[in-house]
Amino acid sequence: MPTAIVTQLNGRIVHVRLVSSDSTDTTMPVEALEANAPMAAVEGEAHTEDKGPSPIAPEGKELIWGGGSFVVLLVLMRLVLFPKVKKGIETRYGNIRNNIDGATNVRADARTDVAAYESALVDVRAEASRRVDEARRTLDAERQVAITAVTARIAARKAEVDASNAAVRAAASADVSIAIASVATTATQIAVGRAPDAAVVSRAVEESLQLSGGQR
Amino acid sequence: MFGLDFPPINEVIRWRDAFGNLNKIGMIAVLASGIAILIFLLASRYNANEAPKGVRNLAEMLVEFIEENIVMQTIGKDGLGWTPFLLSLFIFIYLCNLPGIIPIMQMPATGRMAIPLFLSVIVWVVYNAVGIKHQGFIGYFKGIMFPPGVPKPIYLLLTPIELVSTIIVRPFSLAIRLFANMLAGHMLLVTFALLSAAMFEAQTKKFLLVPMGILPMGMLIFLTVFEVLVGFLQAYIFTILTAVYIGGARHPEH
Repeated sequence: MPTAIVTQLNGRIVHVRLVSSDSTDTTMPVEALEANAPMAAVEGEAHTEDKGPSPIAPEGKELIWGGGSFVVLLVLMRLVLFPKVKKGIETRYGNIRNNIDGATNVRADARTDVAAYESALVDVRAEASRRVDEARRTLDAERQVAITAVTARIAARKAEVDASNAAVRAAASADVSIAIASVATTATQIAVGRAPDAAVVSRAVEESLQLSGGQR
Repeated sequence: MFGLDFPPINEVIRWRDAFGNLNKIGMIAVLASGIAILIFLLASRYNANEAPKGVRNLAEMLVEFIEENIVMQTIGKDGLGWTPFLLSLFIFIYLCNLPGIIPIMQMPATGRMAIPLFLSVIVWVVYNAVGIKHQGFIGYFKGIMFPPGVPKPIYLLLTPIELVSTIIVRPFSLAIRLFANMLAGHMLLVTFALLSAAMFEAQTKKFLLVPMGILPMGMLIFLTVFEVLVGFLQAYIFTILTAVYIGGARHPEH
């Protein structure tokens, strides 16, 4: 004689199990129950409510399925999946590291080149400065020599001109003395009726010129 | 007041077997394992020299999360060999937690005791085996029972506490923490879902109860979003505690 175990939710029958004393239980969904409702009513045995699984105690089938699933995942992850993904990560990171190392080397080379260029630039600047100074010194010396030569030439020319001037002045002075002496002799002769001594006239003219020259 | 008929907890967690003895919890576990395998299988087929994207990016992110945030923080560099185990634990637990908020599924597989208990037992076996391997049987238990730097009279109190804590309490605390959090979250969602439904379908005082149904509905939405965080957090806590236990078994001085 089977026993019907009826489960209700919100007053509605959701699950029925028919359990017989000498056979395995049979689970019957509510649709089947509705179809077989008259039979269940006829059976009319005591209704024992199935309280459902314990909320705390683990169920064997869940342990098996849950544990089995995890073990499969763990084994595959350990042996196949993780090594492949990890290998991919390490390969890419290795490439990235190599690229970074390459870039670092290129940068170091570029820095070396820049340092060499800057060093050469300093040398070239020093050489240019040295040459400019040398040229300046040469130019100064040449200018000094030229100035000295020109000064000497000017001095010589001046001396020549001074000598020429002195000669001309002396000649002019003699001519003026002669002319004055002549004029004085003529004037004296006209005034006194006789010609004065030429030597006295000449001496007087010379003294007069000297006096006038000293006053000027 | 609302005539709300709240089902007993046994009813909420009852799932009929679908194939043989495979019920919803088993199906979620199988699915979680399958999804994790699929993600890593697809990820492993990508060209490793290209910048990762899509599934590959997800897989690498998970691997680096476990390595950087769990293994390196708890065990150190020499614990990187434990990454596959911890990665499997984290992904499996998270994918078992997540169905609690996925429509149709709406049940975290870890909301039943079986999976947390199984995982805890595995963790228990692993960290004890690691401890015995690294310190020897006597050294390991001596390290547990007589931690250095403690005044000798204190051992009378500390030794039984440490022994019970490490050997018995740890696996249960791991299992119950995960199971209870996920079941509590599930019960909260059920509670607010039933409350919302009852208020929206109220037969009396409709003018009051139907508009007020928005409140439990809002709470339901908030808790659903919150459960995403809880699911991640519980997976993270379980995994990091496992790493801490393994690290402690390897380096007792820490």
